[in-house]
Amino acid sequence: MRRMSVFPSGTSLGNLGLTANVLQQEDENNTSELVSELANLSDRARIQAIRSLPMSYDERRRIRSRAISVKTSKNIFNIDCSQQVSRSFRRFGASVASARQWLVVWHGTLKEIGGRFGTSVLSYFLFLKWLLKFNVFSLIINFCFITIPQIVHAPNISNVTGFRGLELLTGVGYFNQTVLFYGGYNGEVIVSKPPYNMQLAYFFTIAAYLVLCGVSLIYSMSRSFQKNFVLESGPVSGGAWRLLCSWDFSVVNEKAIQNNKNNLGTQLKESLSERLQMKHTMSMSERMKYLSLHVLAWLLSLGLAVGSCAGIYFLGIDQLTSSLNHNPNDLTAEASTLLLPVVVSLINLIVPLLYSLISIMERYSNPRAKIYISITRNVVLKMSILGILCYYWLNSVPENMVCWESFVGQSVYRLLIIDFIFCLFGTFFGEFLRNVIGTTCAPSLGVPEFDIARNVLDLIYAQTLAWIGIYFSPLLPVMQVIKLLIIFYMKKVSLSMNCQPPKHTGRAAQMQTVFIALLFFPSFVGALSMVAYTVWSLKPSKYCGPFQGLQTPFHTILSWTVYIQNLPGTYWVWWIFENVLRNELFYYLVTLIILVITYFLWQITQGRKELIRTLRQQIVNEGKDKAFLLNQLQNTQKQRRQMASFRYQEFDQTLHFNPNWINTLPLDM
Amino acid sequence: MGNKQVTFKEEQLEEYQDCTFFTRKEILRLHRRFRELAPNLIPLDYTNSPDITLPSCLITSMPELKENPFRQRIVETFSEDGKGNLSFNDFMDMLSILSEMVPLELKMIYAFKIYDFNKDGFLCEKDVEETVARLTGKELRLEERRLVAQRIMEEADLDGDGKLSLLDFKNMIWKAPDFISLFHIRI
Repeated sequence: MRRMSVFPSGTSLGNLGLTANVLQQEDENNTSELVSELANLSDRARIQAIRSLPMSYDERRRIRSRAISVKTSKNIFNIDCSQQVSRSFRRFGASVASARQWLVVWHGTLKEIGGRFGTSVLSYFLFLKWLLKFNVFSLIINFCFITIPQIVHAPNISNVTGFRGLELLTGVGYFNQTVLFYGGYNGEVIVSKPPYNMQLAYFFTIAAYLVLCGVSLIYSMSRSFQKNFVLESGPVSGGAWRLLCSWDFSVVNEKAIQNNKNNLGTQLKESLSERLQMKHTMSMSERMKYLSLHVLAWLLSLGLAVGSCAGIYFLGIDQLTSSLNHNPNDLTAEASTLLLPVVVSLINLIVPLLYSLISIMERYSNPRAKIYISITRNVVLKMSILGILCYYWLNSVPENMVCWESFVGQSVYRLLIIDFIFCLFGTFFGEFLRNVIGTTCAPSLGVPEFDIARNVLDLIYAQTLAWIGIYFSPLLPVMQVIKLLIIFYMKKVSLSMNCQPPKHTGRAAQMQTVFIALLFFPSFVGALSMVAYTVWSLKPSKYCGPFQGLQTPFHTILSWTVYIQNLPGTYWVWWIFENVLRNELFYYLVTLIILVITYFLWQITQGRKELIRTLRQQIVNEGKDKAFLLNQLQNTQKQRRQMASFRYQEFDQTLHFNPNWINTLPLDM
Repeated sequence: MGNKQVTFKEEQLEEYQDCTFFTRKEILRLHRRFRELAPNLIPLDYTNSPDITLPSCLITSMPELKENPFRQRIVETFSEDGKGNLSFNDFMDMLSILSEMVPLELKMIYAFKIYDFNKDGFLCEKDVEETVARLTGKELRLEERRLVAQRIMEEADLDGDGKLSLLDFKNMIWKAPDFISLFHIRI
């Protein structure tokens, strides 16, 4: 019997001698209750409830048919068509789900990776797939709404240069006046029925895409947070149970499973030995020493980051002045524009290695702190590099260049391409050569592990660049899509050939949440604020692009609302825009309400933590009560048995008449 | 539309879809996999729901289960007779519970059943020791395994009765949120 029985046979309650009939009656009552409950639910809720019943398949099927027959017998007069409608909706939903499976790419590949390397390495590839979806979506809407109208009504292109090979790397020259960059668009209203305003189209398409990205990121982040960060209350449990729960069932490769068994054994031994030896408290001087080492390490890391940023900024200014003075057809000068991206990528490659060297001298209380601190330092480095580049692009470039948005678009393009090339080289040297060295020359190093954190941070960096560049170069997602596809296959091949699964797989789910949060907070928010600043406050270039001649790109919206105001019947749109969206008071009120709600929810969480603690204590007390009562029961039963056997003995003795009673009398009577 | 061999009736497919977490395409694919295990025993036509079971040795020869340390227990848990002989319904049920769309509640219940080696409805220390033994292979000695099992009982047993009930198990799993993604076999 697969059911979880109400009275498991091990307890003494199970031996109370309840007859089989009584138990069966109890079962039947439970089932009828369940069936009537199910019949009252809506179709969808009923299906969900049936799927979640912990019974065997045949029993579920029986309950389902009973529930359906009860429901149809109740509704026999009624709403037959609404049932038909809901059933057809469900069928439609099921077929949509089936059709969606056709779009699931790489299912076999991902299964193979998960089977050999486990879930945490698989999470990198799933992250890559998710980013790919963002870029494909952006590509489709940009192409449909902005590029195709522009191609159909092509603007007059002034000097067209021929295609040389260098364009693929630098993005200037032939690409300069194409639809790849901002400069290739103009803001005319295309005369057709209905008239298509290119300015509005450009503005709204990019805005809608960024808003949708933001919403999707917030949703994923909150779902992931809810699933993976539980209320850590109650006694802090040690690692043994958690290690047992970290066994990865999806690994199917024999060698990988053997590896996992060895790793788990080693980790269990470590955690046992940690507990056995007394944790020695550090003396004051030791603590000061470690603290000062930490401070020194942080100072060094921040110093390196600041130094790289300063270097990049001055190099950029230098490049700008030299590029203003050169002849547009000079190939070497054009190639020298590649110097900045190469320097940026070198810094992104070398400084994290320096960071890991620095962290060797520090001592951490647990390995999780080490990973988080290393991720923080790398994120600070990458985001400060991007920040300084944005500052340089938004401050120094617009005054000096004619078509500065295209210039920024081309810089982003160059950065992405060089980053891609360095990624290829990094995989080659970092994984392939290291594998060769580790197996032949220096076997003590061993086969390299797949460093998930570093690879994910690289993906986040590239995606930030793509989001920054989307305003300046609407077709940039093409490059990002091609790049992500190539990286997927390359990493997969490198993984199979060169790497071994990571040894410490703890907390993979929390790392997943941290990565999504990093993708949202510094990355997306930074890109969004840069684009928002450009749109809100910067003067667009006068002679190229869709917003030429306007004060700021935002003025398109203002002039559009003026136009709308004059149309009959749409006064309310203008009213909402003028008095609600442009009014600061509205945003203050909304912020205040959100803060109040957050405070309430926080208080509720605190209350629930307290409740959990109390309930846990209650379970412990009930356990003690149960043990006490069982003890009492056993004692009483034992006493009763003893008394019964004693009485039997007494009764027994009176029947045994001793015929030699006279010999039992004392002799001296 | 020609002589296309029909595997299931429409009502059967709807039933399968309502009672498990699989879609129509996946159910047909699973039936193909089930047939591949014993092509001579399993008919293509399941419209009259034949009652055929496959022994556990065939099921555990599937590549997804072949190397799993708990394969025998998994198959036993989902079989009707408790010995590991699975019909197609049980096979599909097993893979449905081990798939990724299942809520945590259900996974915890079945994980508890799988780890319960002596099938008494509780995880006693011997069960935990056996689990540790299967997960670490020869890496730990007997005393170390016993020590680990004792530590786990201390951490997890809230009401102090010397064994873990389903509630204790659930309580511990809540603290390891990775579990829902790790207790998952891809088919």
